[in-house]
Amino acid sequence: MPFTTAGLRRGLLAGLPFILSNGVAGIVMGVAYRGLGLDFAAAVLFSLLVYSATAQAVVLGLWAMPPPIAVMMLACAATNARYLVMGAHLRQFFTDVPRRVMLPILALLGDASWFMTVAEAERGRRDAGYLLGCSLPMASGWIGGTALGHALPLRPHGPLAGAAAFRPLVFVVALLPTQWRGPRSLVPWAVSAAVGLAVASSLGPSWAMLIGGGAGTLVSALRGDDV
Amino acid sequence: MSDLRILAAVLAVAAVTYAMRSGGFLAASAMPQHGLLPRLLRLAPGNLFVAFAAAGILEGGWPSLAGCLGAVTAMAVTKREWAALGGGFAAAALASALA
Repeated sequence: MPFTTAGLRRGLLAGLPFILSNGVAGIVMGVAYRGLGLDFAAAVLFSLLVYSATAQAVVLGLWAMPPPIAVMMLACAATNARYLVMGAHLRQFFTDVPRRVMLPILALLGDASWFMTVAEAERGRRDAGYLLGCSLPMASGWIGGTALGHALPLRPHGPLAGAAAFRPLVFVVALLPTQWRGPRSLVPWAVSAAVGLAVASSLGPSWAMLIGGGAGTLVSALRGDDV
Repeated sequence: MSDLRILAAVLAVAAVTYAMRSGGFLAASAMPQHGLLPRLLRLAPGNLFVAFAAAGILEGGWPSLAGCLGAVTAMAVTKREWAALGGGFAAAALASALA
């Protein structure tokens, strides 16, 4: 069964730097929640149960009292639609892992843990333990950071906000070399980048990954890059 | 918690987010193991990375571009994620300070 304690340990070690980077982002989120007037319990519960920087950022943008729950749900579905693709992609690596094991782990699925788990699997080390292992420090950083940010007398501006905003981008880019399939990656990647930029300028960055990446993937498939 | 409406909002958003996380995995269970869709899923990650990065650089400007170049270079040289993260943050901070 591709769920091992060795994988869990390896994932935990690989995810350790994210305690710091997710922690900084979580602090910014906690400060923002305090600014909205949410109490400590509500702020921590948001990061604990939702655990999604994009979903929580969208909710922040839509916040009002009473909260427009239907609009928030719709916006979160749209901005997190990429998780559908990520989850479907993970399925092909973990067909032999029981759902009772995978479904709780998926509650902690994030961009970084997905990228890292896919990169591991493509190096021949598919392991749901790794997904759980690297997700735990990420979630701890995010939730702990939110709590700290709410408790500390900080303001959501300056270098702290800058570092937090850059965080999702840097880990994705760090894993880019693992996906390079040689010169045949050039054309689909150029299409992904061009469509991603066009979508980000028109519909917003949330859709860029899904539509831009989808266009590049289609080009890869039509060219037969995987055969 | 001071207001039940806030709790309702948290639970609703959490439910949607989890549905997205688990929905793709569950739907893929019913999907054939061979054919176009599995091929698309195999080819997707690199392209999704690139589109995500392009949009992020557009939004973040020069410091983000410098940070991305720093991260890719550090990863290509060291093959270590932590070094890539450090390289990326350092390059972005430097570009921010110089801008």
